[in-house]
Amino acid sequence: MGLLCSRHKRGNQATTEENDQAAEIERRIEQETKAEKHIRKLLLLGAGESGKSTIFKQIKLLFQTGFDERELQSYISVIHANVYQTIKILHDGAKELALSEAGSSKYELSVDNKEIGEKLSDIGGRLDYPRLTEELVQDILKVWRDPAIQETYTRGNELQVPDCADYFMENLQRLSEANYIPTKEDVLHARVRTTGVVETQFSPVGENKKSGEVYRLYDVGGQRNERRKWIHLFDGVTAVIFCAAISEYDQTLFEDENRNRIMETKELFEWVLKQKCFEKTSFMLFLNKFDIFEKKVSKVPLNVCEWFKDYQPVSTGKQEVEHAYEFVKKKFEELYYQNVTCDHQDRVFKIYRTTALDQKLVKKTFKLVDETLRRRNLFEAGLL
Amino acid sequence: MPVLFSSRRDGADGQVLDLYTAIKDGVLGGGVGFGGGFAEKLDLKKMIEELNLCEIPSVFICPISLEPMEDPVTLCTGQTYERSNILKWFSLGHFTCPTTMQELWDDSITPNNTLQKLIHTWFSQMYFQMKKRSEDVQGMTSEILDTLKTVKGRARVQSLKNLRELVTTHVIVRKTVVDKGGVSLLSSLLGPYTSHAIGSEVVSILVHLNLDSSSRLNLMQPAKISLIVDMLNEGSIETKINCTRLIGLLMEETNFQVEIVSSHSLLVALMRLVKDKRHPSGSLHGLSLIKSICAHEQVRSLIVSTGAVPQLVELLPSLKHDCLELALFILDDLSTVNEGKQALSDCSSTIPNMVRVLMRVSESCTQHALSILWSICKLSPQECSLVAVDVGLAAKLLLVIQSGCDPSLKQQSAELLKLCSLNYSDSIFFSKCKLTRTIQ
Repeated sequence: MGLLCSRHKRGNQATTEENDQAAEIERRIEQETKAEKHIRKLLLLGAGESGKSTIFKQIKLLFQTGFDERELQSYISVIHANVYQTIKILHDGAKELALSEAGSSKYELSVDNKEIGEKLSDIGGRLDYPRLTEELVQDILKVWRDPAIQETYTRGNELQVPDCADYFMENLQRLSEANYIPTKEDVLHARVRTTGVVETQFSPVGENKKSGEVYRLYDVGGQRNERRKWIHLFDGVTAVIFCAAISEYDQTLFEDENRNRIMETKELFEWVLKQKCFEKTSFMLFLNKFDIFEKKVSKVPLNVCEWFKDYQPVSTGKQEVEHAYEFVKKKFEELYYQNVTCDHQDRVFKIYRTTALDQKLVKKTFKLVDETLRRRNLFEAGLL
Repeated sequence: MPVLFSSRRDGADGQVLDLYTAIKDGVLGGGVGFGGGFAEKLDLKKMIEELNLCEIPSVFICPISLEPMEDPVTLCTGQTYERSNILKWFSLGHFTCPTTMQELWDDSITPNNTLQKLIHTWFSQMYFQMKKRSEDVQGMTSEILDTLKTVKGRARVQSLKNLRELVTTHVIVRKTVVDKGGVSLLSSLLGPYTSHAIGSEVVSILVHLNLDSSSRLNLMQPAKISLIVDMLNEGSIETKINCTRLIGLLMEETNFQVEIVSSHSLLVALMRLVKDKRHPSGSLHGLSLIKSICAHEQVRSLIVSTGAVPQLVELLPSLKHDCLELALFILDDLSTVNEGKQALSDCSSTIPNMVRVLMRVSESCTQHALSILWSICKLSPQECSLVAVDVGLAAKLLLVIQSGCDPSLKQQSAELLKLCSLNYSDSIFFSKCKLTRTIQ
């Protein structure tokens, strides 16, 4: 940079070589800026645990070379950590519930399991987790299968049980093998709270095999303390992919156990919509975790969430799931249009139903997103 | 004298019979090629009806009815007519030849067998050709429908394009598609992950077909409607119009549920279509659909909340007759809800634009404009009447009262005039009315 700033001739001491270098660097910067203009910036936003990082991983798997062996191995410690965290949350949760419901013995672990439970809870509270051994797996399974823990699990929405709990518990044997290498599925389920910003650049290959579109995807941390880092990314964004996990209508925040997650998402979405820098940005709303939503809707009514309190079920089974989904979708749509002014008339807004863990679905969804953005581009260029 | 001379190769040249093709196709005898026996069996009347051709050789047409003759008879003047028509002419007491105006010296009518045979053969040939063509086209349609079940991607888009071509050019294809279960096949292609390329082709085909009740209900599934609304928002103008028309068709269903159209995205998309000045045909379709939606009271406040009222009011001056009528109808409907009334009175252009419409376009436009003015003047009589009179409302109202309109309109105008005049002294009011001395 220094070389560029001092463009005035330093008398006889300015050599042609230095000037040439300066010109070369300037030219390269100009080239890169031009190239940058063609790169479409996509921003993954959303509350904590809404599925942003999973989408990010899916994009890597779909449009890049996927995960190499080293990366896969790096996930082993994450997955093991998830296992310990889960069992600790359940164990401590059982103790809490046992205290609050002093009369019943539903949440009382059996005598043998109590000791193992304490030991595991202890491990789970450390900063460093030991590698899963056969012995530990047996211990964990004993505690997991204890009826008290299963009973606690049904009230998992009141605790901070991660969504991957079921999956990892079922595959526990495999996870502890000596030469275990995580599969794609394992990696997708693994849960790490993102902090800071992660980016990746990719080019989706369409059916015509001509790529041309280059996307740069940014993933951010969703928890409250992470959100102040978002604002630095807000310039020149082509599209915001806002992830909202619709299955968490009965859950509370990690950062604030008194706050319903959907209410938080609602407020956050409104805040993002109002940002001036997003006036011309396309908004893709991903209503995520549909698979969990599907199963939950028949057991937990939507009205437990304040925003959905006017929901009336009309039928049962699959039809009801569809009806519930449409209700939620309409709520978000209403929310969007309430926050739209005449400046935003031309802004693209689309809602997609996603299950971030399903690669095929994410691929199909992204194809639609790509189509929309390309059409938008033509529209802005006046060609449509 | 009618002369047979060779003109264009297709015998349907309106003037005369093409000699060359007539001989080649065996019309002038021979019967080689398609079998004269086949021709005999078909009823001429039926063929003429089914074919419904516009260009029939003039020598086959009866001068009285201008229809092709089924039983031609010749008079002594040499002119040929359809038997029933000329007999009717005689029964009315005329004994002249209708075309030459000559008095008939001989009242015998001779059946013109030659001409009858020619007519029969010609129509049979045309009929045969049409049947063959339609079989070809029907065959092609079946093939395409079968292909659609198996191919994907670009091949699918191409098949759909081909099907659309057939459906738009040949009416018979539309029935074929419906008969072969094409409607449910096409509907199944619409889903949450359908690309616009496929979706727009499917809609452009469905719009031409006769959809029965179950097909319509099938299409009303939320995921399919979402896709159609999306395409309404983002597609080309043809796609937007097709989607609008399709939703209109679905709304005609008896078990139609209003929730389907009470969607922000749909209403915003329709308004965008209406406001697009580059495509007036789009505006017409958009307004028609909004009018149909407005007929359902529950949706009216939603429509108002999307900001449709000021947008429509601002558009009024630039709309042509039929669009203008629709827009006024919509605003009239919207004025029945409180939010609508409020929105109308909040918009500063409402009164001037309504006044401008009075007595300028059509009676129904005047009726709607009056109704709207009445709603907002009742809401806030003081301010409205001030504005209204300033832009010449009073003069217009007097015009209505004096015109030949419906008495109820006159009544309403009189009441409105009274309402407006409450704020003025007589002299000022008269001057505001811009009345000439004579009327005064």
